[in-house]
Amino acid sequence: MNSYHDPELQEILQDDELRGVAALLSSARLPQPPVDDAFRTGLRRQLMKEAWAMSEGRYSWWRRAFAPPGLAWAGAAVGLILIGTVVVWGALQQPGGLNQVFVQSPIDGQNSVSLQQPILVAFNQPMNHQTTEAAVQITPATNVTFSWAQDSRSLQVQPVAGNLAPNTQYQVTIGPGATTQSGQQLAAPQTITFVTQPPPTPAPSPSPRPTPTNPLAEKQLVTVNGAANLVAQWSADSSSIYFIDGKGTLVVASKSGAASVIAQDGTSSLSISPAGERLAYVRAGKIEILTFATGKAGEVGATPAATLVGWAGDRVVWAAADGFYTLGAGGQSQVAALPATGTVAVVSIAPDGAHATYRQDDKLFVLDLASGKSTQLGPVKATFAGWSPDGADLLYSTGDSVIVADPQGATQATLPGGDAAWSTQDAILLGSDTGLYQVRADGSGGRPVANGTYRSPIWAPDGATFAFVRGNNLWVATAPALPPAPTPVDEAGKVVSAFMDARLKGHESDASSLLDANGKKAYGDGGLDLVVKGDPKFTRYYVVTQALVDTNPDTVRVVVRLVLTHAKLDVNSYEETLTLVRDLNTRVFLIDKATGGSHRDLGKGAEVVSVDVTKDGVKITFDSDLDPGTINDGVLILDSDGKQITATATYVNRTVTLSGFDLKAGARYRLVVLTKVRDVLGHSVSAEYDLDLVGPATKHARRDIVTSGPAPVASPTPNS
Amino acid sequence: MSDPSRDEERELVEGAKRDPRQFGALYDRHFQQIYRFVYSRVREQTAAEDVTSEVFMKALKAMPRYQDTGRPFAAWLYQIAVNAIADRYRTLRPAQPLDDFHDLSIAGPALEDMAAHRDEVRRIWALVEALPHQQRTALVLKFQEDMKIDDIAIAMGKTAGAVKLLIHRGVTRLREDASSLRPVE
Repeated sequence: MNSYHDPELQEILQDDELRGVAALLSSARLPQPPVDDAFRTGLRRQLMKEAWAMSEGRYSWWRRAFAPPGLAWAGAAVGLILIGTVVVWGALQQPGGLNQVFVQSPIDGQNSVSLQQPILVAFNQPMNHQTTEAAVQITPATNVTFSWAQDSRSLQVQPVAGNLAPNTQYQVTIGPGATTQSGQQLAAPQTITFVTQPPPTPAPSPSPRPTPTNPLAEKQLVTVNGAANLVAQWSADSSSIYFIDGKGTLVVASKSGAASVIAQDGTSSLSISPAGERLAYVRAGKIEILTFATGKAGEVGATPAATLVGWAGDRVVWAAADGFYTLGAGGQSQVAALPATGTVAVVSIAPDGAHATYRQDDKLFVLDLASGKSTQLGPVKATFAGWSPDGADLLYSTGDSVIVADPQGATQATLPGGDAAWSTQDAILLGSDTGLYQVRADGSGGRPVANGTYRSPIWAPDGATFAFVRGNNLWVATAPALPPAPTPVDEAGKVVSAFMDARLKGHESDASSLLDANGKKAYGDGGLDLVVKGDPKFTRYYVVTQALVDTNPDTVRVVVRLVLTHAKLDVNSYEETLTLVRDLNTRVFLIDKATGGSHRDLGKGAEVVSVDVTKDGVKITFDSDLDPGTINDGVLILDSDGKQITATATYVNRTVTLSGFDLKAGARYRLVVLTKVRDVLGHSVSAEYDLDLVGPATKHARRDIVTSGPAPVASPTPNS
Repeated sequence: MSDPSRDEERELVEGAKRDPRQFGALYDRHFQQIYRFVYSRVREQTAAEDVTSEVFMKALKAMPRYQDTGRPFAAWLYQIAVNAIADRYRTLRPAQPLDDFHDLSIAGPALEDMAAHRDEVRRIWALVEALPHQQRTALVLKFQEDMKIDDIAIAMGKTAGAVKLLIHRGVTRLREDASSLRPVE
């Protein structure tokens, strides 16, 4: 008798011979067939994108239903039901109720997430830090650190490399091992997916920098404890920043991150004297003045109670409910009165103490403290945005724009909107939840500095350092100097962007207009496709590397990667090498040569996303954190004869730098990434990657502008 | 007493019905077995990837309409897979020799019988491949995927009785086709 006993088969297979056949069939077990991990993760990615699209479809319906003017009776009724549901749900969240754990992120499903943006994850319940952090999985392979908000409901996941890899699709999964502080597990893994932006500038010829992936040298300092509008000012030597947190505590934090409390609770305004030796602050309606040299604080009794403090030279001035006061030999005296009608609130005292701004009902006014004359700024509901460092001009916001105005209210320039700060170098930073913009006070030279969250920027007196608020924390960073005239690479890069954008849109004639006679041949019959058609579909592109390779005439070589997508999944890519030459008459760059490379499958191991070439080295940025042990002999540079050049390979933050050799201007080289290079999860590069390079020309090489430090003066900071 | 595994699966299914973004957990749970089944039918990696993609994409899109009948969620996935294979590979025969795929080394009661047993298993699975499509699918789901008759019925869109008949006819025909088969003692 055979040993195969399946009760279900007993009635089907009546005799031993048939059961013997069944036993034989069941004795051959299938081994695990070959599975391509890249396929498995790629399919998951594709499914998640589709899931997001389905989910967004639902939200769109919801939004449509509740968006004006569609808010009809039915919508209102549904809204009431939803409100009721939320109330009931909230009640059920008590212990023993319906304790489902939800995960959300503001970058869920986004296709252009800034590289400086930490991965933000919000939970509907306080989470256990240890189990939640252990349950986080990220692809591509990325080493990260975690930081939690005080309520343990918000998690910031920060790549150790400093920022996210450019042009990369990320999947962040919170696995079911994550538990709430009460010990409840997630019902199911929840995944956040997003695609990152290209790097802000391709930086064709950068000098080697120790932290190239964190161009602003951003550093998190301390929590602001929920302060909605940051009240802060830098020390005169730009070494530390004084601020009032959300609990009314006056804190000083050094750029190194050390923080100490100066005054507990009840602080509402601060101002450092122009000479930098004293700090005045308002606490419980009184003014306290701290002398740094002695560490001793004196108190000024203000009647009526002080609301705001500032300095006029070495004299302290303050605002109270009925006007502005200063302290003279005979005690306090009123400098200027505030209007007695309407609802009046002082907003800010200028750094020189000569002017102040206040609100009267919905209007914003600037007050000349010497003459007592007030001038309305902008339209109704305009808001104050900042002072120039000398107090001679000011900024106010009309919502979409920031206006530069003189104290008489005359507009000097109109800038993009945002939280504004005016530096001693006359550069104005405009920060927001989505990015940081820098522009000259006259409105010229404006450019995005970075993408990400940069609220309440505050310049240090050195004109380079600034602080800002991101999440619930105070950060410090270094702003780049305003740009000089565009380089040949910049100009050529704009032509490449216009060319590629036109191709992406299928606008053949627009793209063709950026080709010279040789370029037209390259994209002519039998050549490259000017308009890329078919499936997989051409959906995006980015510059892998670009460099000035000749200066007579200016010649720029740009390698562009074209990404092809099938069913929303990036499946492969290929590169085109474009050579742009400046026309000596029109001074405009046109594409003179173009060659195409072979197709390369995506999603199978680490990919090179950027290559920067300098005279004395090559820097290769990958999308994944790599196993450093696989770098040596895995990333090579060859000369024009195919001979390997002896180089020193170093690896920091997803970037391999080959150095210790000189690249000759105009000479040809080849970068080779072998399949022995692996990411931190052990996945090998799927296929060898080769990139032909040309030694950069040096004549136009641009040095980073180094700004000498100005004499220490107090930074211009709104008092509220 | 409820089956914790089933309860967990039910929660995952309900989660994915509410929010498609939670489908990833079901994918992680069932990818391996569906891919294995599909691969066993098409015997070619690219084809297996195409069909597996189709199966899970269809499942994701149909999740809001999925009704829990008390049977394993996998039965529904197998159903989609069976249909996908039937639709797309109706005329395709296995391209790879069975020897390359079936692992015959783990069965067999004694070392001296191993070689003979391997031959027998190889032969009978070769004969399975020659069976009519429905019988072949029923035998694969029963003997390779270890599925219950009721679940196979769901996967194949048939009644349990019809599945039993397919299995009986399939095994009977195998016995007839391979008269020298030796049962496992």
